[in-house]
Amino acid sequence: MKRFRIVLLVLVAFALVAAACSSSSEETTTTAAEGAEATTTTAAPATTTTAGGGETTTTEAMASLEGTTVTVFGPESSDEEAGAMQDALDVFAAANGMTIVYTGARDFSDQINAQAAGGNPPDIAIFPQPGKLADFAREGYILPLPDDVTATVTANWPEAFVSFGNVDGVQYGVPNKADIKSLVWYDTNAFEENGYGIPQTLDELWALSDQMVANGQTPWCVGIESGPATGWPFTDWVEDMTLRLQGADYYDQWVAGEIKFSDPAMVDIWQTIIDLWNKPGYVYAAGGSIASTPFGDNGQPLVDGDCMMHRQASFYSAFLPEGTPTGPGGIDVFYFPAGPDGTKPVLGGGTLAAAFDDRPEVWAVMNYYASPEYSNERQIAQQARKGGQLSGYLSANKNMDLNVFLPLEQTMIDIMLNAEVLRFDGSDLMPAAVGAGTFWTEGTSAVNGDETVEEAVANIDASWPSS
Amino acid sequence: MDRVIATAVGIIAAVGVSAIVFIGANKVFDLAPRRWSLFSSLIGGASSLLVFGLLWGNRLIEEPVAVTAAALVVGVAAGYALSRTSDRTVHLVIGVTSGVILGGLLGFFFNSEYLPAIEPLGLVVSIGVGFALGAALWASRGRRASIVRSLLLWGSMGWLFGAWLLPTLGEGSRIESIVAGVVLGAGVGAWVGTFPLPDHKMKESISSGSRKFIFLIPALGFVLMTLVIPLIRTFWLGFLTGTPTHLTWAGFSNYVSIVTDPGIIDFSDWTDMFTSRLMIAGVLVLLIGFAVARVSGKRLGQTFGLTGGSLSAIAAGVILVGFAVFAAVRGTISNNLWWIFAVTIFSTGMGLAIAVLSDRSKGESVAKSMIFMPMAISFVGASIIWRFMYIARPPQKTQTGVMNAVWIKLGEWSNSPTATAVILGILALVLVGILFIAWRGRRAHMPAITAGAVVAALPIVWLIYRFLGPGLGGFQVIEATGQTIGQPILFLQEAPFNNFWMMVVLIWIQTGFAMVILSAAIKAVPTELIEASRIDGASESQVFWRITIPQVSPTIGVVVTTLVVTVLKVFDIPKVMTNGNFGTQVLANEMWQRAFTELNFGLGSAIAIVLFLGVLPIMWMNIRRMQKERAAH
Amino acid sequence: MATTDRHLATGPEPAALGSRVRGFLGAIPTWVLWFFVIIWTVPTLGLFINSFRTRDAQRNFGWWMFWQDGAHGYGGLTLQNYRDVLGSEATGGLANGLLNSAAIAIVATIIPIAIAAFAAYAFAWIDFKGRDWLFIATVALLAVPSQVALIPLLQMYAGGAHLTIPLIAKTVTVFPDLDLAGTIPAVWLTHTGFALPFAIFLLHNYMSGLPGDIFESARIDGADHFTIFWRLVVPLSIPVLAAFTIFQFLWTWNDYLIALTMIGGNREALPATVVVASLAGEFGLREHLLTAGAFVITVVPMAVFFSLQRFFVRGITAGSVKG
Repeated sequence: MKRFRIVLLVLVAFALVAAACSSSSEETTTTAAEGAEATTTTAAPATTTTAGGGETTTTEAMASLEGTTVTVFGPESSDEEAGAMQDALDVFAAANGMTIVYTGARDFSDQINAQAAGGNPPDIAIFPQPGKLADFAREGYILPLPDDVTATVTANWPEAFVSFGNVDGVQYGVPNKADIKSLVWYDTNAFEENGYGIPQTLDELWALSDQMVANGQTPWCVGIESGPATGWPFTDWVEDMTLRLQGADYYDQWVAGEIKFSDPAMVDIWQTIIDLWNKPGYVYAAGGSIASTPFGDNGQPLVDGDCMMHRQASFYSAFLPEGTPTGPGGIDVFYFPAGPDGTKPVLGGGTLAAAFDDRPEVWAVMNYYASPEYSNERQIAQQARKGGQLSGYLSANKNMDLNVFLPLEQTMIDIMLNAEVLRFDGSDLMPAAVGAGTFWTEGTSAVNGDETVEEAVANIDASWPSS
Repeated sequence: MDRVIATAVGIIAAVGVSAIVFIGANKVFDLAPRRWSLFSSLIGGASSLLVFGLLWGNRLIEEPVAVTAAALVVGVAAGYALSRTSDRTVHLVIGVTSGVILGGLLGFFFNSEYLPAIEPLGLVVSIGVGFALGAALWASRGRRASIVRSLLLWGSMGWLFGAWLLPTLGEGSRIESIVAGVVLGAGVGAWVGTFPLPDHKMKESISSGSRKFIFLIPALGFVLMTLVIPLIRTFWLGFLTGTPTHLTWAGFSNYVSIVTDPGIIDFSDWTDMFTSRLMIAGVLVLLIGFAVARVSGKRLGQTFGLTGGSLSAIAAGVILVGFAVFAAVRGTISNNLWWIFAVTIFSTGMGLAIAVLSDRSKGESVAKSMIFMPMAISFVGASIIWRFMYIARPPQKTQTGVMNAVWIKLGEWSNSPTATAVILGILALVLVGILFIAWRGRRAHMPAITAGAVVAALPIVWLIYRFLGPGLGGFQVIEATGQTIGQPILFLQEAPFNNFWMMVVLIWIQTGFAMVILSAAIKAVPTELIEASRIDGASESQVFWRITIPQVSPTIGVVVTTLVVTVLKVFDIPKVMTNGNFGTQVLANEMWQRAFTELNFGLGSAIAIVLFLGVLPIMWMNIRRMQKERAAH
Repeated sequence: MATTDRHLATGPEPAALGSRVRGFLGAIPTWVLWFFVIIWTVPTLGLFINSFRTRDAQRNFGWWMFWQDGAHGYGGLTLQNYRDVLGSEATGGLANGLLNSAAIAIVATIIPIAIAAFAAYAFAWIDFKGRDWLFIATVALLAVPSQVALIPLLQMYAGGAHLTIPLIAKTVTVFPDLDLAGTIPAVWLTHTGFALPFAIFLLHNYMSGLPGDIFESARIDGADHFTIFWRLVVPLSIPVLAAFTIFQFLWTWNDYLIALTMIGGNREALPATVVVASLAGEFGLREHLLTAGAFVITVVPMAVFFSLQRFFVRGITAGSVKG
């Protein structure tokens, strides 16, 4: 019996060792996983791109797309958003006899990391954060755009949005969706009844707030609760105010970590916001309860007249109570006013598509994302899914058909397209430990009064990754 | 419909193939004693199939289908031929011949891109090393076996290494690969051909001795693939730093940064624990528990009599004191320990309580199903459910979360004289009832009941105090106007007790688990034992503490072990509810954030190793204890 | 001793009183049990009621006020959430998701149970050298946080496992590139591996308590291990097998992370949990749909629990045989 066991063992060992005769120069499998060092075929940085990719307009290129499949993975997952994305892609796919499959997952940010590191990335991913896109570009996971796709992007998108997808001078991302955050939502009827005008400067805005309080109204709705992301609406306020009071250069340095949170100017901005929020009668859900008010719950009080204004991003339209009239005569938006120097900075957001695989059909889809046709189709599909209401989708594509957007949406697009300075949401650009961590939590503590502003900013600075 | 059929076919195929492989392996080894030649042929075929299959998998042979099929035939033929003769010379001839054929197949069809360029010196050296190893092993095994066979085997291994592994592949010629293959085949074949002839006893022992492998290999293979290798990789990664594609050696710096992270443990407010109400209440309850234990101990002539009542009081005291400590000492480690402490105690305790209670109650199966239901609800569902429970809304609005609605209602009541009066009346009645029970228990000489009643009376007294004095529930008085408004609790944001509110979710889920397992164990307690002690006049609580508990204690061990492991690895709930913010970070979520959100595999892996090493002793102690208990049986 | 004392000390009248007290006390377990049941059910009940309410109603008034929804202007109870969930087409649709969940959970339940039962039997009843150590090592792997294994496994499914032998720099393929990433078999393999330590722990704990003399006599009658396992051990272990079946089915059915990681962007293969989670959208905009979604995916595991529950009845567990 013992002998037999040895026979078995030796046979197995023999088999294994014989198998070891393989050479390391195997070209077919580049995934040599020795311990941690894993590279994937798709991750190989390709600085040059194959010809023919992206030429979607020529019949020749279209023929070459016949029967191909492209997979897209992104954070938008609800029926309206993911469905509209798929609808818009289907239009292109049908025209070219190809298949494009979009999959949305709520955990996109973590999942795309796992998929890329695990060697199973999609063909195209839609990044909600330029910071992550830049990380992926430096890791060599995503590929630079071929020249023709870059040309389509620069031809159709404003410079600021193009630059979000640019990493160290190389273009990786194609803008896919644009959000604008420098907006104040208000009820036009309430403004009209009280004879309030749209403030043009921050001072006018504060004066209007004072006037509202004097008239017995609550000017602001503020809520920063958002489950595990509680605090992000506060960070948006800070970013918007920084752009206005300190300018874009300061903002860029601050986002890059070159200016600390404990910088006196930054502390001032925090204090200004918190003082405003803590002024008796200024905020609905006053004082310590700001942190407990879900940001999505401010639509109802705005409609009910519990508060007059709500500073929140363009996608907030989806959080208004069902059937709320929007635009003139209903709930409308105005631009969060300019700062003392008169420049009109805009805080924006959005998503960027980047490719993991160098195939003609992948570049064709990327090219489509950059085109005005995509923005049009996406908007039409999403609006139809919303029953003709505000779609929740916005684009800053310069050449798209503005008529497919509702008046309110056109107002927002107009603000984005005419922005003198447009910056991406800073917390999405900072390291995750800060931008999706301490900035939120310490901000919440400061708003709550659990910490002073000085303590909060010191804690954020301490959490900034050292490397 | 197509999808349904395809899915069903996939399921049946997966299960069927697994079953066939396992049962087939058993059946093949059943053949050994009775039909040796069939067995021998099958093993011969399987061995050569395995070798050539592996070569095929590594893309090392040309014409893989034909070559593998040929190898299979040769293997089967060799196995069969070996079993049909008992002549040693013929055995050797068969072995060498089939070995040469297989080696020739290998050499002749070896992928022409990878032909080995043999270096004579290296070959000679490695054969020499092989012989030396063979001789050494033979000597170390007491020189019982044949030295020729040992030299044959290890010489072949030396040849294998020298001719195939050492040289640069791809620069050799076909002749070299044929030579390399044939000599290897001849060597191994001669080794196989010189096996001692099997007698019946050996055939029997082959059949039975192989069983442990057949039974264990599937499990060990899976465990190796999915857990052991990733664990080794994680251990290795823990010493690296950088991004996934640019990893560099970092020594212990990841571990150093874990230890020096200020968030890992924070003693700055530790003195608070001595002044916290929890600590005071805990110490009070503990004292009562010990007092009761002393009283009942006196009756039994012991220092302390641990009856149900005193034990519950002591347990409650320990829980309160524990909470006071964990609420004062903050940090990730403290949170993890708090999770283990609270979830394990509450889930096991309540699971046991419910299992016992349901055993004696009507509607048992309905009740158990309801308690078990949270186990069936997905983690997505559970997180939604509890967000609805904990949600807080501005004081001006009606609360939509049950917890805050109750809390604010309490606040309203304690500020309304009428409601306060009604509640005080009800509380007083309950108190009188409890005191009556205590008194009856005293009269009936059942100290356990008295003690239980006294402990149960404590919270009632506390409630009466709150309603008479400072008030209870969520409210705040606006000083300017004297007006009272509601004051909701931010259950998930207010540290440190937000930790506890998240633990409640896991307790809610895991109690069903504990209950199901413990209930099965309680029902397995032999009825005769219980009947016998009842006939002896033992009370229900005596039966429980003296018969049931010792009988189910091994099962409690299983439940506690499982819970501790589950809780230490808890990840979903903090991730979804707070993502580790507001002082609720736990190790598993910290690891996830570092490794998956920030792609810092080095630090993430180091945290995983810390977590693993933290759970290991608990596992170890439990398994050893359980094995000892088993040995004692 | 104490009990005899009591009988002596109490006369007839107090005894009658005591029995009344005892009768009163006897009902306490039932009360306490149902108190627990109510507490345990309230959260689920709230979710259930909310699943029939509109988004604005859920947001503005507690579920216990559902009967006033009409009066508050949010419309009465509605099946719209269920309609939206069942009719959802994002992430492949719920029907497809449920099918995938079934495909994942059934195989990922049966295979680990079978494999763990073999191993548990071997650890409990086959003698061999180093058995205890191997058992402890296997079960100790319970302590491995399974998340660490996700990326290596995904790498293996995506490109096979290749081992480069140090010094001679030759790479061996240990696990071929079967292109499993993004498929349901990848989820099967992963679940099977992750489940084994606990399954072996639980089953071994039970099987080693089975009466050895039965097996001994069977062996004397010439039964081999496979026969003993199949004809004696498996039938005797039905309760623990049923218990583990329930747990494993619930875990695999409700799993979100492993399935999403292994399947990734292959929409056609994603299970129902991922589909339902994605309903809510990026900012939790349509979170109200999760109420109905959670119920739809809970129906199947509840049915499994109720159908296997009868195996937990008195008298068929190991202890009774032991006693």
